[in-house]
Amino acid sequence: MQYSDKVMEHFMHPHNVGKMENPDATATEGSPACGDQVTVYLKVDEESHTISDVSFLSYGCASNIATASMITDLAKGKTLEEAKKITWRDAMEALDGLPPVKVHCSVLAADTLLTAISNYEIAKGLKEVPDFTKETIVEELKKIIYPKVGEDIVSLKMVKYVGFNHGEILIDLNIPSFDQWRGNVADEIREHLEKYPDVKDIQINFPE
Amino acid sequence: MKPGRIYMDNCITTKPAPEVLAAMKPFMEEQFWFPGSFVSTAEIINSAIDQYRFTIAQSIFAKPSELHFTSGGTLANNIAIKGLVTAHADKGSHIICSVVDYPDLLTNAAFFEQSGFDVTYLPANSEGFVDLDELKAAIRPDTILFMTTIVNHVVGTIQPMHEIRDILAAADHKIYFHADAGQAYGKMLLDVKDLAVDTMSISAHKIHGPQGIGALYVKSGTKLGQLIHGVRRIDDLQTGGLNIALIAGFHKAVELTFADLDATVAHLRELSNYLIERIEATIPEVELNGPRGAGRACHNVNITIGFIEGEAITMMLDMHGITVATGSACASQGLQANYILMAIGKNHMQSHGSMKFTLCKYNTKAEIDEVVGKLAEIAIELRKRSPLYQG
Repeated sequence: MQYSDKVMEHFMHPHNVGKMENPDATATEGSPACGDQVTVYLKVDEESHTISDVSFLSYGCASNIATASMITDLAKGKTLEEAKKITWRDAMEALDGLPPVKVHCSVLAADTLLTAISNYEIAKGLKEVPDFTKETIVEELKKIIYPKVGEDIVSLKMVKYVGFNHGEILIDLNIPSFDQWRGNVADEIREHLEKYPDVKDIQINFPE
Repeated sequence: MKPGRIYMDNCITTKPAPEVLAAMKPFMEEQFWFPGSFVSTAEIINSAIDQYRFTIAQSIFAKPSELHFTSGGTLANNIAIKGLVTAHADKGSHIICSVVDYPDLLTNAAFFEQSGFDVTYLPANSEGFVDLDELKAAIRPDTILFMTTIVNHVVGTIQPMHEIRDILAAADHKIYFHADAGQAYGKMLLDVKDLAVDTMSISAHKIHGPQGIGALYVKSGTKLGQLIHGVRRIDDLQTGGLNIALIAGFHKAVELTFADLDATVAHLRELSNYLIERIEATIPEVELNGPRGAGRACHNVNITIGFIEGEAITMMLDMHGITVATGSACASQGLQANYILMAIGKNHMQSHGSMKFTLCKYNTKAEIDEVVGKLAEIAIELRKRSPLYQG
């Protein structure tokens, strides 16, 4: 599958790109090792809790840049509560779709926006730093895209078991050994969970 | 600047030469026959194949009887590797190759590993050269096969074939030697007798011949297990039908390439040196991957552009009508960083930002100027967008 015209348009001429001076909040997700990294900057109107300005930087592929451009377009002018409801599916649909192997880019863009909003809320005392629980793990797993079909591994029922005890995470995945995406999915899971200070060890098991 | 697309991905495939297409046409129109016995139509094809086989064999200093046509390099590699291993499995079960080999070799090695064979994967140094001390140390009494990729398909490293030959010859027993010459053929002199290879694969579409035809050199007297069974038209190694038009095209490409191989190589060397020089002079923070100078194939340039990602660069060049390749995970089918770059010690970022330009005789300095100009603009634009480059 090729990129849509809209993806190419947002890639070649991205909106809201560039570092923001004195942002009210910022977040960086992804890592260069995994091939993509996005930083989102927010300016928030304190009275109305509206995102008055938003911008991004991207180290990533065409779809990474395009999805960051789109997600920042979607967030601009929204209240924080509205912006929190923007999902990776919204960004993907607004771009007229993405090739299945590129869906994870829209997840990264949506995720970074959400983290930036969360960072703002924590900094302003609007919410507490959330506890790390098994639910946090499941929420993170919902962001892991199985690249062959472009759907998340929870919706695809690939997660058989999630355990969390004293900092150790145990995840059983139902992906057979001949599946070429097995290693990729495991790498993505580690990237998403290793950033939490509460996580000491991640064990991912597959069927033999 | 001539109109049309600038194509610099010639290690994947090359544009068929117009002379090649002209040579193929008669065999797709009037002389579409198969080889065989006695009838004149079959005899015409017999003698055409003999003549073409002679010239193609000559290009690697082989006898015509040692050259077998295949559908391309991958089939040639499979016939050779599977044929050598199955024919000589009674003598041992150990195979040696390297971490920087072409996927054809590595997937065959993995296949035999799963079937109970032992495989040693030799490491390579930071320029992609196989570690020869490790080769000496890896040889065991039960080693039956060593295989190598003469020119690396990613960073253009030319393996030290004479040193490898001498190490194999010094072993106490016969170790069969298979070479993949996909990227080497037509880019350097290859003399199968001098290299002392038992089998070697070559391909037509890397030298401006048609896609879908290659050949396997098998040294006279070498026993190969038969991989493909079917109707025997020429010999046991190449059962089934023969595409005479493709063979005619292959032959013409060989004639054109080898009429003056030194001149072909010198021209490509000049172009690739110019491309490296222009990129290094124009774009800051770039890094050549693979060796400089004579250890590098004459057509390969692989350069990492720091702080940005290769798929985005490739797509932007594509929008400007320029075709190149990248080692970025984002552009790969398995979303993995290029295994060759990782094997020679590059990190993920160096792999993601790597751009591969492989040149051919149709490329010009004017094209290189245009590509470098566009690349410099793209580097500035993407670096503006990159969180890793906020200088």
